[in-house]
Amino acid sequence: MEHIDHILIVDDDREIRELVGNYLKKNGLRTTVVADGRAMRAFLESNQVDLIVLDIMMPGDDGLLLCRELRAGKHKAIPVLMLTARDDETDRIIGLEMGADDYLTKPFAARELLARINAVLRRTRMLPPNLVVSESARLIAFGRWRLDTSARHLLDQDGTMVALSGAEYRLLRVFIDHPQRVLNRDQLLNLTQGRDADLFDRSIDLLVSRLRQRLLDDAREPAYIKTVRSEGYVFSLPVEILGDPS
Amino acid sequence: MRLPLHWPRTLASRLSLIFLIGLILAQALSFGAQYYERYESAKNTMLGNLETDVSTSIAILDRLPAAERASWLQQLERQNYGYLLNEGTPGTPMGADMPNAPVAMASIKDAIGHDYPMTFTDIPGPNKHFQVHLKLADGSPLTIDVRPAMKPLSPWLPMVLLGQLALMIACTWLAVRIAIRPLTRLADAVETLDPNAHPVLLDEHGPTEVAHAARAFNAMQARIAAYLKERMQLLAAISHDLQTPITRMKLRAEFMDDSSEKDKLWNDLGEMEHLVREGVAYARSVHGATEESRRTDLDSFLDSLVFDYQDMGKDVQLNGKSATVIDTRPHALRRVLVNLTDNALKFAGAAELWVEKQADGSLSIKVMDRGPGIAEEELAQVMQPFYRVENSRNRSTGGTGLGLAIAQQLAVAMGGTLTLSQREGGGLCAQLRLPG
Repeated sequence: MEHIDHILIVDDDREIRELVGNYLKKNGLRTTVVADGRAMRAFLESNQVDLIVLDIMMPGDDGLLLCRELRAGKHKAIPVLMLTARDDETDRIIGLEMGADDYLTKPFAARELLARINAVLRRTRMLPPNLVVSESARLIAFGRWRLDTSARHLLDQDGTMVALSGAEYRLLRVFIDHPQRVLNRDQLLNLTQGRDADLFDRSIDLLVSRLRQRLLDDAREPAYIKTVRSEGYVFSLPVEILGDPS
Repeated sequence: MRLPLHWPRTLASRLSLIFLIGLILAQALSFGAQYYERYESAKNTMLGNLETDVSTSIAILDRLPAAERASWLQQLERQNYGYLLNEGTPGTPMGADMPNAPVAMASIKDAIGHDYPMTFTDIPGPNKHFQVHLKLADGSPLTIDVRPAMKPLSPWLPMVLLGQLALMIACTWLAVRIAIRPLTRLADAVETLDPNAHPVLLDEHGPTEVAHAARAFNAMQARIAAYLKERMQLLAAISHDLQTPITRMKLRAEFMDDSSEKDKLWNDLGEMEHLVREGVAYARSVHGATEESRRTDLDSFLDSLVFDYQDMGKDVQLNGKSATVIDTRPHALRRVLVNLTDNALKFAGAAELWVEKQADGSLSIKVMDRGPGIAEEELAQVMQPFYRVENSRNRSTGGTGLGLAIAQQLAVAMGGTLTLSQREGGGLCAQLRLPG
């Protein structure tokens, strides 16, 4: 029998959680809706879920606290998608720091939520990362760079910020999550197309060359991302997880 | 004919004028009074002396043998009068009851008039004086030559007066300065008052009135800031609370059957959502300058921004290189550029970014389009919140009227400026200048 993904929706607004639940159900997912953290914990005690949709703004235990709790306990493998109430950078950063896999800003379209859920599930299943970046580790070091995983930019040796476009960040993140592993173009495309499904007609090759430029990597003698003929690419440098940048 | 007298424009010169004129008049008055007093008392003393001196002298001369008199004349000579042993110089006879008769005349008459009959003559000339003619006991003539003159003023007196004048000017200047300075400071403070920035408090020390004014100003500043904050909090709260119902409506709309009604509802909801987001963003751009500056590689920053647009299939191009690392607030900068670029995309379908390092070290980032542009007279107004150019009012392009206001607010918060101008050859050019 085919596995049907089970999504747990935690939101204090009854209408929203039921509307979301119904929409996802209509689109072939199994859903359970609960109103708060207590109900969430109780449900997780005796049930298996594949993904949790967690609202940040809730009375009592808020989403950030619950997310941190999930990441610290035995449910740390369950992907979490946060719903933030506003388009706020701090909410996003804190949410990702607390270990959420993705976030969506209210008001959102249900089909957008569905796309995100599918992307997160695909990403976590298709190729489990070699390297699990934990909640407290925002910084990943490789070569002469450090990557800030919550603010999503690079830092050079002087601490100067080097910005990355969304697609560049996602591709780099795929490489960093799977160091020393050869990834073919299909895998890269699938994993990179996480959030916005926006990799229109940009091929992975073009994106790789952009990323190399950003890393100041020589395209003929690349030190970071090496081309493996007729197979794909490999991130060849060792990767080290650092603590908080502060 | 009346001469137009101009009252000076500045308060400082008016006060100086009043002080100076007042002080000089008062000074002149007291000097005059003193001078008169001195004159009167000197005269009285002199006349008193004159009476005794003249009667003594005449008595001596009268008792001296006629041959010895001439040798005594020298000793009896005084500064204002002397004695002659002859008939004197002819002149106009004077009577004691004449209105302009010198007072000395009466004194002399009082002193010796009852012993010696005498006549007075006025001697005109450059040194106007008068003579008293009388006959001594032996019948020989004697003339008293009286030359009334005030003792000349001491040569140091004008210097003292000049010094006094200088002192008055100095004091006036000081007083006016003390009075005007707090006013100037207050005016400056009001002029530079920016309720959105950190309040610059006036010094509440100094004279009571000044301290009072400073306290009142500081309180007013705090009140304005509180009102603004309240206004922004209201905007933020309304915008924020609308998010939940909009979310519900959007979710419900997705259960509707596909129809043109659903599309319309969907578009309306999209517009509302946009407005709510911009409202929150505007409230925050005005109030929370909380993001910290960090060293940012500008070229990669702009690259990533443009690539994000290109990855979404939008026609956004970047021209120029700055090769600069700047200290800036990346989220704020991104928001400014995104708002400008979204605007260009909305009205023109394409945007060009030009980055340039200026000769003075500052940076210029231009976002330009070939859209309909904005009329010259509307350029300044479009930065106002909720202002919309007439042709953007139609529903298809819509817009909240907050995008440019947010960009403007953030640009200022970053220490930069945002200016709009008409692009050569048509379209709009938005230029963000950042300190280098």
